[in-house]
Amino acid sequence: MPSNETRDSDAILRCERLDRTFVSRDAGENRVLQDINFEMRKGEFVVLIGPSGCGKSTLLNIIAGFDRQTAGLALIDGRPIAGPGPDKAMVFQDYALLPWLNARENIEIGLKMQRMPAAQRTETALRFLELVGLAEAAERPVYKLSGGMQQRVSIARALALEPKVLLMDEPFGALDAFQRAIMHKELVRIWRATQATIIFVTHSLEEAVFLGERVVAMTPRAVGLTGELRIDMPRPRDPLSPEFAAVKRRLFEMITSHLTEEVAVFAE
Amino acid sequence: MSMKSADAALRATAPARAAAPVRTLARPSLLASLAPALLGLVVPGAFLVLWWGVVAAGVFPPSVLPSPFTVAAAAFDWAFGDPQNGGYSGTLAQAIWASGQRVLLGYAIAMVLGVAIGVPTGASRLMGHLVDPFIHLLRPIPVTAWVPLSLVFFGFGFKGAVFLVALGSFFPIVVNTIEGVRGANRSLVKVGRMLGARGWRLLWYFILPASLPSVFVGLRLGMGISWELIIVAEMMSVKSGIGYTLLDAYSFGRFDVVIAAMIVLGVMGFLSDRVIVAVQSVALRWHREVSIHAEQ
Ligand SMILES: Nc1ncnc2c1ncn2[C@@H]1O[C@H](COP(=O)(O)OP(=O)(O)OP(=O)(O)O)[C@@H](O)[C@H]1O
Ligand SMILES: [Mg+2]
Repeated sequence: MPSNETRDSDAILRCERLDRTFVSRDAGENRVLQDINFEMRKGEFVVLIGPSGCGKSTLLNIIAGFDRQTAGLALIDGRPIAGPGPDKAMVFQDYALLPWLNARENIEIGLKMQRMPAAQRTETALRFLELVGLAEAAERPVYKLSGGMQQRVSIARALALEPKVLLMDEPFGALDAFQRAIMHKELVRIWRATQATIIFVTHSLEEAVFLGERVVAMTPRAVGLTGELRIDMPRPRDPLSPEFAAVKRRLFEMITSHLTEEVAVFAE
Repeated sequence: MSMKSADAALRATAPARAAAPVRTLARPSLLASLAPALLGLVVPGAFLVLWWGVVAAGVFPPSVLPSPFTVAAAAFDWAFGDPQNGGYSGTLAQAIWASGQRVLLGYAIAMVLGVAIGVPTGASRLMGHLVDPFIHLLRPIPVTAWVPLSLVFFGFGFKGAVFLVALGSFFPIVVNTIEGVRGANRSLVKVGRMLGARGWRLLWYFILPASLPSVFVGLRLGMGISWELIIVAEMMSVKSGIGYTLLDAYSFGRFDVVIAAMIVLGVMGFLSDRVIVAVQSVALRWHREVSIHAEQ
């Protein structure tokens, strides 16, 4: 079922009839993405949800420019995506910070690659560290920071590039439940402060309902994206409230109904 | 948290166990911190005693197996004796300088070439296809098999020795540099490309730092091999240095000097390895810490 989002002109990201087929000698052809149509407005917070192996990372890697589609279009600001770059910043699940640099330098290195002058780099890096609540850790080596703090540095590094889209692939998967809850609140605050455009990948219903303005669901080998849900619940959202539970249930039903359909198709 | 408040916390949560003695973390005593070093001396000490015992029991003629004391005396004379006395007296410094010079130059050449060839070979697929097979074909040839060619091209003396040292230590350095660059953490390379780094900047700021731990492995292996090869070179084709002294002493039946020369070689190898480790621990502080963290 294609996205029924209207094609407004301020779409910053657009995928049209996107396909990705992996060909391997032993497994043959594996069509992971099929006819994906997807659009995002500037400043939107979209959560991409689906079971393991349905192709979430594959889609995100194509948008990041790390991978290429086998057919269809992927456009950022109307231009086809050609390789990775700072306009599509990714926050990795394993943080991927440079261990030989401290927190500030980890942010500056990206700005340096943009050829920003040194003084301005430092000032910008400190500003973004402050934004993620790590001002006092600026000079600490990153390997001495906790997982949650490292992920904040990684978010600051991505945001400092002022990307057109911020891509987050299960960014909090390696954190414990408490740190994750804190990071959820922090991310919503940061998103509001920066008006960043975010795609957030997860397979947690709770994470999706807490964060998303719009949740897009994927199921394995389904044609296109299987459904989407707008969440207008006011923020801050309370994961223990009945409204939250109700939205979560709707999302769950939306995903599982497609899963059972798929099973039925396979059974024929 | 001080021990006292930790105790208090324990008592608060487990009143039933409050009476039981609380195990405290004692500060390691001086003796305890010296213990590993002392333990390390036990086996060598036992070995010396055994050696001395074998000699005292007259298992071998003393001309073939001198006692530890004879060797110590020979080493002392080699190091501090009056050169006017002739023989080996007072020539140790000269021998170390002669060998050390060749090792340093040969090793430096190997390091420069190993890194200069290893980095592009690891970084570029084309270079890899071009250079890899050649390196892996040459590598299994024992360096000692190069001696005849080395004699033809470089003659007896300094150049030939430097050539053999450079050749032997080149291989571990180049192979580990290639591996390090090729295996530079995938996600860090991804990050570099995402941050907009291409070409040289990607190599310099992301791939090279990530490959350093592996490069240092090569540097250490290379240094070990250098000391091995300098002895081979000096035995075969050079008329000075520790290796030459060793062979010369053997031909005169001076086994006390032979053993002293072996010990000097061990010490030189050990010291040069320590130098590299010291440089490494400064350059790769992050790496040590990261590995320590990963172990937890
Ligand atoms: N480089 C590749 N070569 C071949 N097949 C691949 C490759 N990358 C992914 N796949 C296949 O594509 C499918 C989707 O993988 P993907 O990593 O996108 O899933 P995912 O939705 O991100 O799962 P998870 O929630 O576990 O991260 C899987 O079946 C996987 O085996
Ligand atoms: Mg994934």
